[in-house]
Amino acid sequence: MEDKNPLSPHIQIYNWHISSLISISHRITGIINIIIITLICFWASFLLLGSTNYDIIKTFFETFFGKFLIAGTVWSFSFQILCEIRHFFWDLGIGFELKTANLTGLIVIFGSIVLTILFLGKGLI
Amino acid sequence: MVQINLPQNSKIKKGKYYKDKTGSKNIRKVNIYRWDPSTGENPRIDTYEVDMENCPSKVLDLLNKIKNEIDPSIAYRRSCAHGVCGSCAMNMDGKNGLACTKPHKEIKGDINIYPLPHLKVQKDLIGDLSTLYKQYQSVEPWLKNSKKDENKENLQSVEDRSKLDGLYECIMCACCSTACPSYWWNGDKYLGPAVLLQAYRWIIDSRDEDRKERLKKVADELKLYRCHTIMNCTNACPKGLNPAKAIASIKKMLATS
Repeated sequence: MEDKNPLSPHIQIYNWHISSLISISHRITGIINIIIITLICFWASFLLLGSTNYDIIKTFFETFFGKFLIAGTVWSFSFQILCEIRHFFWDLGIGFELKTANLTGLIVIFGSIVLTILFLGKGLI
Repeated sequence: MVQINLPQNSKIKKGKYYKDKTGSKNIRKVNIYRWDPSTGENPRIDTYEVDMENCPSKVLDLLNKIKNEIDPSIAYRRSCAHGVCGSCAMNMDGKNGLACTKPHKEIKGDINIYPLPHLKVQKDLIGDLSTLYKQYQSVEPWLKNSKKDENKENLQSVEDRSKLDGLYECIMCACCSTACPSYWWNGDKYLGPAVLLQAYRWIIDSRDEDRKERLKKVADELKLYRCHTIMNCTNACPKGLNPAKAIASIKKMLATS
């Protein structure tokens, strides 16, 4: 095919479905989680250097942005874990029917929020 | 590779506006992707005002009406008009499907019609599917059996036959493959849902003697494992089949054999 032929539009026009939305979020949270784990490692080694470092980090986590970061982290991990469980069942060949896949997709979305709230509890407020 | 933006020659421009001449009160706007290979211009979106009083129920009827009554220059594939041949596969309202089975009543607002996504456009709504056909050929979609006696039936148990249900119905319309983001980014290497469903159809056929070879051939990082279970394929299939499940079945067979 010659180059002059245009490429038909794809991601620009295609509707998002629950399944595709979760698939891309799964990837994004995966990348975020790698960064977060690296940061946590840095944070832990930072603490080894003394109590003043602990105070700096503590004040940071008490700010609004710090709290947001913690909540985001917990959500990101919850989402990832639920997605992985969903994928585990898929690997067994279970849950491919459109209705089931949409239902498990919704469970992942709402489940990750519920897990975040349960995990953080009163700490959120 | 992932390329979100369209190339320069594929950017869509605003096209002509065809005003309704019938004076009908029941009007719908239909936006259609147009590209004419003879002009060398960029693709455009033409808008047609269509009198819905005298229009049958499906999107294909709508296109036929536009072609017959408003603009005869518009090009699209169609043949059976009953969801059997797979010719009129296109993107309607942001989702792939067959124009002949999709009721336009299901679409809210203006009706947007594009060719199947991420294909080289040949004209208007006609995309070039030759890569997909070559990939289809590569899975050797025919029965391989060493039994030479042509006068005898090649029997299959009811149970074995039922394994082909949900696979043999595929009409190769390419709705699934062109709905798949993985196929958009790696269409030259990844086989895509349509071809993998067909590959599985022959892998699982009890009469076929080439199962091991077939599995070996498809077991490839790019050919098979580019499927990330996005499930756009199953969402798009106008025949209600499940390519995502077929692909998972191949993966499972490979993991357990």
